[in-house]
Amino acid sequence: MNIRTLLVFFITALATSTMVAAKKPAAVQKLPPSIQGVVQAKEVSLVRVNVTGQPFDYFRPWQKKAPFSKRALGAVLPHDRVLVTADLVQNQNYVELERAESGDKTAANVAVVDYEANLALLEPIDKKFLNGLQPLELALDTVVGDRLNAWQLEASGTLVVTEGIVTTIGVTRYPADVGDFLTYRLSIPMQYRDNSYTVPLVKNNKLAALLLRFDPRGQTLDAIPAPIIAHFLKDAENEKYPGFPSLGISFFPTRDPQLRSYAGETGKPGGVYITSVEPGLPAAKAGVQAGDIITAVGDHEIDQNGNYVDSLYGKLEFSNLITSKQFVGDSVPLHIHRAGKPLTLTVKLEHRAEEDYVVPPYNVDDPPFYYVLGGLIFQELSRQYLKEWGANWQKDAPQDFVYLDRFQSEIFPEGKRRVVILSQVLPANNTIGYDDFSYLVVNKVNGKEIRSIGDLAEAVKTPVNGFDVIETLDDPKQLELSVAEVAKEAEALQKNYGLPALQRLP
Amino acid sequence: MHRIRFLICALALFAVAHTDAQPNGQIQNSLVRITSTEVEPDYRAPWNSGSIGRGVGAGFVIDGQRILTNAHVVSNSRYLTVERENDPNKYPASIQFVAHDCDLALLQVAEPNFWKNMKPLGFGAIPTLESTVSAYGYPIGGERMSVTTGIVSRIDFNLYTHSGIDSHLAVQISAQINPGNSGGPVMQNGKVVGVAFQGYTGDVAQGVAYMIPTPVIHRFLKDIEDGHYDRYVDLGITYSKLQNPAQRHFLGLEDDDRGILVSTVIDAGPCGKVLQKGDVLLSIDGHPIASDAFVDYEGGRVQMPEVVERKFKGDTVKLDLVRNKQPMSVDIKLGSVWPYFMQGHNYDTRPRYVVYGGLIFQPMSLDLLEAYRISDLRVRHAFDFFVSEQIYREHPEVIILTNILPDPINTYVSAFRSAIVDEINGQKIKTLQDLARAFEQPADRFVVKMIGDGPPLVLDPKKVEEARERIKTRYNVVVEQNLDEQPPAKAPVATAEK
Repeated sequence: MNIRTLLVFFITALATSTMVAAKKPAAVQKLPPSIQGVVQAKEVSLVRVNVTGQPFDYFRPWQKKAPFSKRALGAVLPHDRVLVTADLVQNQNYVELERAESGDKTAANVAVVDYEANLALLEPIDKKFLNGLQPLELALDTVVGDRLNAWQLEASGTLVVTEGIVTTIGVTRYPADVGDFLTYRLSIPMQYRDNSYTVPLVKNNKLAALLLRFDPRGQTLDAIPAPIIAHFLKDAENEKYPGFPSLGISFFPTRDPQLRSYAGETGKPGGVYITSVEPGLPAAKAGVQAGDIITAVGDHEIDQNGNYVDSLYGKLEFSNLITSKQFVGDSVPLHIHRAGKPLTLTVKLEHRAEEDYVVPPYNVDDPPFYYVLGGLIFQELSRQYLKEWGANWQKDAPQDFVYLDRFQSEIFPEGKRRVVILSQVLPANNTIGYDDFSYLVVNKVNGKEIRSIGDLAEAVKTPVNGFDVIETLDDPKQLELSVAEVAKEAEALQKNYGLPALQRLP
Repeated sequence: MHRIRFLICALALFAVAHTDAQPNGQIQNSLVRITSTEVEPDYRAPWNSGSIGRGVGAGFVIDGQRILTNAHVVSNSRYLTVERENDPNKYPASIQFVAHDCDLALLQVAEPNFWKNMKPLGFGAIPTLESTVSAYGYPIGGERMSVTTGIVSRIDFNLYTHSGIDSHLAVQISAQINPGNSGGPVMQNGKVVGVAFQGYTGDVAQGVAYMIPTPVIHRFLKDIEDGHYDRYVDLGITYSKLQNPAQRHFLGLEDDDRGILVSTVIDAGPCGKVLQKGDVLLSIDGHPIASDAFVDYEGGRVQMPEVVERKFKGDTVKLDLVRNKQPMSVDIKLGSVWPYFMQGHNYDTRPRYVVYGGLIFQPMSLDLLEAYRISDLRVRHAFDFFVSEQIYREHPEVIILTNILPDPINTYVSAFRSAIVDEINGQKIKTLQDLARAFEQPADRFVVKMIGDGPPLVLDPKKVEEARERIKTRYNVVVEQNLDEQPPAKAPVATAEK
């Protein structure tokens, strides 16, 4: 929650700073002459990235919102690619690269994007565009106490360097709210500039991290570290981007001696208590059960708080052993205790794709599906839809939807479905008396169970005695439409409300 | 010259004041000022007696040497006094009847001197829209009677905020009403037409105040005639309007703007085994129900529940309905719907709780959630959907681990705060009594399973016993549990007649 607030604040602050930065004479910390010399000998390996984004409007799923622009920096990598955060390019319509010194521009494609790890790779259309820029190598050895330089560009193209110190390295939740990944936290007196969206952090002219979020009041910065970037780049070499692996478990510390004794643990303290195992995900497939104690992953022992000892960072949450160090398709031995007896299970790692969730956690680039019947608008419930309620969506959005999202694997343990909702009603002749209905979960249409918008489109093909019968989870529980009347009004409805189409289906 | 005119003017003014400004007669002889010393229960330290406060309200004398006032003027009170205008004495009073669901109470005063020269007020009907009314009381605590006037702005069903869950007929008036007016009479032509009871705070709306109209008052006075106040009765259903032509057609209804659709039947309510989801109610006690759920009743157009409102526990109501296109009628024996009570404010009760191993377990209620400001999504969901998703079937009381009194035996369980207890050692926990009983069973350990995917909370009874006195002393837990009230009453049995 804290982190989310922080992030949102960051983005809004950036948006404002974009507008005022040009007027405000920035108090710039110039490079010490020695370093400046080194950097300017060859042009810095940064390009400006201009992105025009246009998010889908989930409240009016047939249209997109007004376009808006973001300016950022990209780090030039080998093989003529530019690294940015996924945040920057989400819902993008057009991406443009700009050389800092000459101002030359070219269009670019998003080659690979990973919203969970918040990373994206861009490729310029003009292959020679990056000529003369020395690609950045990765610095994988950053540890707590290291000093990293944040690279930003002045309007003139001059490099501005701010030095920060790495204060903590740990595993934190990334903005997509799907996975926990390795994160560097820095203390840094950085300023906003019109290109702060993606700020590279550099150690000895090597890329050590990319800005994830920044709290200007506390001057603390969280960054996506090079090991995560390296993992992403290695994955990106595949024909189809595989994504970061996950186990599909939730765990709880075993510090409580009463819990340890209940779980049959009599030996030395250590291991975590598995509270739930997501059906169909790698841990479940390998036979891990709720109530098991995971004592080690491979050769790494796990302590009672869920940490292992990393050779570089010291104590770190054991999920890092999976996300950072393993790839999809790898097999990992899990050492567990079940009712006090040791057991080793081998887990074949997979990535949990966004579409494998009942309520997809992010689906930014895909147009939302919808189906308009009479004036009733049906959609699939998604986190992106809930986020239309704004930064406080968890409080402001319909609470039964927030509940469905949060506890989706408990409520729908079998998975493999969506939640179809009647999101709103466009007043029309067919919907007289229904105008006040909104935010209803749809159970059945024409007697058929509805598990996706496709099910609904199929079900309306077989009406009941000339009526479409819609059953909802909450009141009113049932509503009906006359198929003939709906057909008669369809054209007028479409015209009246400016709907380009009455449906968008998978 | 000057002096005389002044006198004349003054006389004229006085005369005017005498004839016009008191069209309702000498209210001073009927109005009382009520001072209540109340003890607000402390849900966060439920073993404490609570905080003591004092409030002032109004009341008035009605027949039978009784004083009518608002329930909220006297709720949670420990000591009550009443005062009369032009009398220096304070007279101790006591509550005879209190009805929190319609915010009314009757007080009695034992001292005979109090009743000397006191005139009981009579009741009038619901005043007409735009007619002028006067409100009497002690706004913002003053010691002398205050009068304000206004007109009747609206007559409609409205939420009674004292309980927070009951809606009854309420009359909106434009007279200024402020704290201290509560319980005072609103008069027209010398008759009481309402009891002033609620309004809005400044920035929401102004010139909007509400009074309890006489049908609600009469119902209260009739209810207590048997010496006991039963609650309002309810059908325990939700319904939807039937205004959509296609839906009416589908249900086989005529095009006559009649009927409402039953959406949910709460099985703990009087219609539980009688009505079904999808029934279309056509009339209630012979009064046709329009498709917007209004009924022509006693010369006015009122919402359907108003017909039920006037009835009492044990009364029957006749419903004509259509089920699967077949007409039928049923008699419903009315009663209240207990699962709703938890969602409203409760008064004159002590918080119920169990402290075990420094863990405080309390049944979910509106007052509890407000006291702890619980924002936990699971708890909020259980609260909001307690009735509509019939959560009460499995958990008539939702027992929450509300707080932890830190001690070495519970130092690792803070993550369980706001969790809902599901089972203890495999035993379903349906009430607070169940929980208290479960912890009394002999066992090597208590495995408390919470609702949802999470670890169990494990307690070692021996260690809990060792820590017991330590925790009691450290946190001044005077009493470790209060199981007072009985679990929710069983719903009255409904009768069907086809």
